[in-house]
Amino acid sequence: MRALVVDDSRTMRVIVARALRTLGFETDDAEHGQAALDKLAATGPVDLVCVDWNMPVMDGLEFVTAVRKDRSLRGMTIMMVTTESEQSQIVRALAAGAHEYLIKPFTVDAIRDKLELLGLVAAGEPV
Amino acid sequence: MSIARHTFAYVAEHVRRTSAIQLDDGKEYLVESRLMPLAREAGLPDVDAYVARLRAEPGSAAHDDVVEALTTNETSWFRDVAPFEALRRHILPEIAERAGARRAPRIWSAACSTGQEPWSIAMVLEETLGPDVRAEVLATDLSTQVLERARTGEYSQLEVNRGLPAAMLVRHLERHGMHWRVGDALRRTVTFRRHNLLDTPPSGGFDVVFLRNVLIYFDLPTRHAVLEHVRTALRPDGWLVLGSAETTSGVHDGFERVQVGSTVAFRATAATRPGPLVPPPPAGRSAPLAAVPHPAAPALAETLSLLRDAAPTPTPTRGAGLT
Amino acid sequence: MSQVIAGEDVYAIAQDIFASMVDGDVGTIVPWEGPPPGWQEPVTAWVDLQGDWAGRASLTTETSTAHALARALLGFGEDEPVERADLVDAFGEVVNVVGGNVKSLLETTGSLGLPQVADVDPGLPGGLVLSEMVLAWHGRALELVVRAVL
Repeated sequence: MRALVVDDSRTMRVIVARALRTLGFETDDAEHGQAALDKLAATGPVDLVCVDWNMPVMDGLEFVTAVRKDRSLRGMTIMMVTTESEQSQIVRALAAGAHEYLIKPFTVDAIRDKLELLGLVAAGEPV
Repeated sequence: MSIARHTFAYVAEHVRRTSAIQLDDGKEYLVESRLMPLAREAGLPDVDAYVARLRAEPGSAAHDDVVEALTTNETSWFRDVAPFEALRRHILPEIAERAGARRAPRIWSAACSTGQEPWSIAMVLEETLGPDVRAEVLATDLSTQVLERARTGEYSQLEVNRGLPAAMLVRHLERHGMHWRVGDALRRTVTFRRHNLLDTPPSGGFDVVFLRNVLIYFDLPTRHAVLEHVRTALRPDGWLVLGSAETTSGVHDGFERVQVGSTVAFRATAATRPGPLVPPPPAGRSAPLAAVPHPAAPALAETLSLLRDAAPTPTPTRGAGLT
Repeated sequence: MSQVIAGEDVYAIAQDIFASMVDGDVGTIVPWEGPPPGWQEPVTAWVDLQGDWAGRASLTTETSTAHALARALLGFGEDEPVERADLVDAFGEVVNVVGGNVKSLLETTGSLGLPQVADVDPGLPGGLVLSEMVLAWHGRALELVVRAVL
C-alpha cells in the first residue's frame, strides 16, 4: 500500500508518515495541494492520501475537489487530517469527496481506527 | 521499570474480589500503566508508592478508582468494524425476516463501558431500519462511574477521533464547545442501567447480545456462569457477539458458531437446558448463515449522499466506511 | 464582539495535544507551580484567528524546551541536534493545533493563519488577554496565551 502525506508542516508530515509506516504503508509526502497533484501526475494514484486543510498555494479542500475531477486519480482514498474541527467544515470536506476526516491532535491508534473503517488496515488487532 | 510483586498481588486480589476479574501474572504492565496516572494525580512518584498508601487505608474510595482504572478499556466506536457490519448486513435482516415487521429488535450491550458500543449499535439500527422503527438498546455496566459518563453521551475530540466514521459523527452528534454530544434520536433508543454479569440477567428476550472483550478477563467457571445468564436473556435463535479473541467453545455448549460476513457470531441453540461446564468437542454444528438479503445500499453511502445534497460534486468511488 | 474562552478549555486542549502527539501518555502537562518563569532565551510561536472573531493563540518557552519539544515530535534522540527550520516548524505546529482547537470553540466562523515563530513575542496591539497560563511539561515551563482583538 502506498500513501501520500500532504501537509505544509514537516513535523506533521513526519508524524503522520511514521504512523502510516507502522501500519505497513510506503509513504511519500508533499508540502501543499499543488505539489501533491504534481507528484500524483508523475507517479500515478496511491492507495491513500492524508491531507491537511490549511496550506499555502493550494489548500486541502481545493486538492480534494481537484482529485475528484481527475478521472486518472479514481480509486484513491482521501482522509483530511486537520485542526479544522467545526461540524460544518467536516460536512464540507465530505461533500467535496473526502472519505474520512481525522482531527488534530490524534493518536496512532486513531489513525489505525480510521484506516480499519476504510478497509485499508485489517481490523481486530488483539487487545 | 516494573512494579513490586506485592504491589501486583494486592491489586490483583482486590480487583478479583470486587469484580471477579482475574489479573494473571504477566499483567503487571497493565497494572502499572493504568495506575500510573492515579499515582501522579495523588502526587506520588510511582505505582508502588500509590499502592502502599492504598494498603494503609483499607476500604478507602481510592480502591474504587483502582478497579475502575483496571476494568475500563479505552473504547473505540465501531470497535473492530466487522461485528457492526455483521449486525447491519446479516443479523438485522435475518431478525426482520424471522420476526417480520411486527417487532422491533432488542439488543443488549453488556459491559458497555463509556458507551461507544451501544451508541454505535444505535447508529446501525437507525441507518438500517430507518427512524420509524423503535428498536431498543439496553446498555449495562458494573461501574456506576462509567455508566454516568456513557449516559451523558458527551465525548471529547480525542474520543470521537477513535473509529467513528466522520459521516456518522456529523449526522448523529453535535458539537458543543469542547465536546460532541449524541443527538436525541439515538438517546431515545439507548437505556443505561447498572448490572453485574453474575446477577440474574435483564428480562425481556433479546435478539442480540454484545458481550465483547469481557470474557477474556474471567476464569472458566465465571465465563460459564456469565454465558449461562446470556443464554437465558436471549430469545430462541438469538445472537451473541463476542470479542474477536473470544469463543463459547469449550465454555458453554448452548451456542453454535456461525460465520457472518468476515467475522463470527454465536447463536443460541434451541435447547434451553444448562450446558455442562466443558462440553464434548463440537461435531460440525457450525453452519454458514443461510442466504440473507443485503440492504440495497450501504448506510454510509446514504449518509454521504444526504450530505452531498447541496454539493453537485462527483460521488467518491469508494465508500467512506463500513463497506 | 468578543466571546468567552474558558481557561479550562484551553488547558484541556493543551493536555490533549501533549497526551496524543508529544508524549503518548496522559498527565505530562500540569499547571506550573511557583513564581512565573523568567525567560533567559525565549522563543514564541503564534497563530492568528481571522474572521468574525479575531484573535491569537501564542506559546512561549525557553529555546532549549522548544528543542526538546521538537525532538519529541520528530522522534529524534535525546541529544540529537535540532536545526532552526525544524524547531520553527515543530514549535509552530503545536501552536497551530492549539489555534485550530480554540477556533472550534467559537460559535462564529473564521479561518486560521499560518503559524509564525520569533525570538521576541511581538505582542498584539489592541489585544485583550482571554486566557493566560503557565504549564509545566516534564518540569519545563510553557506559557500559553489566548488573546482577542476587539
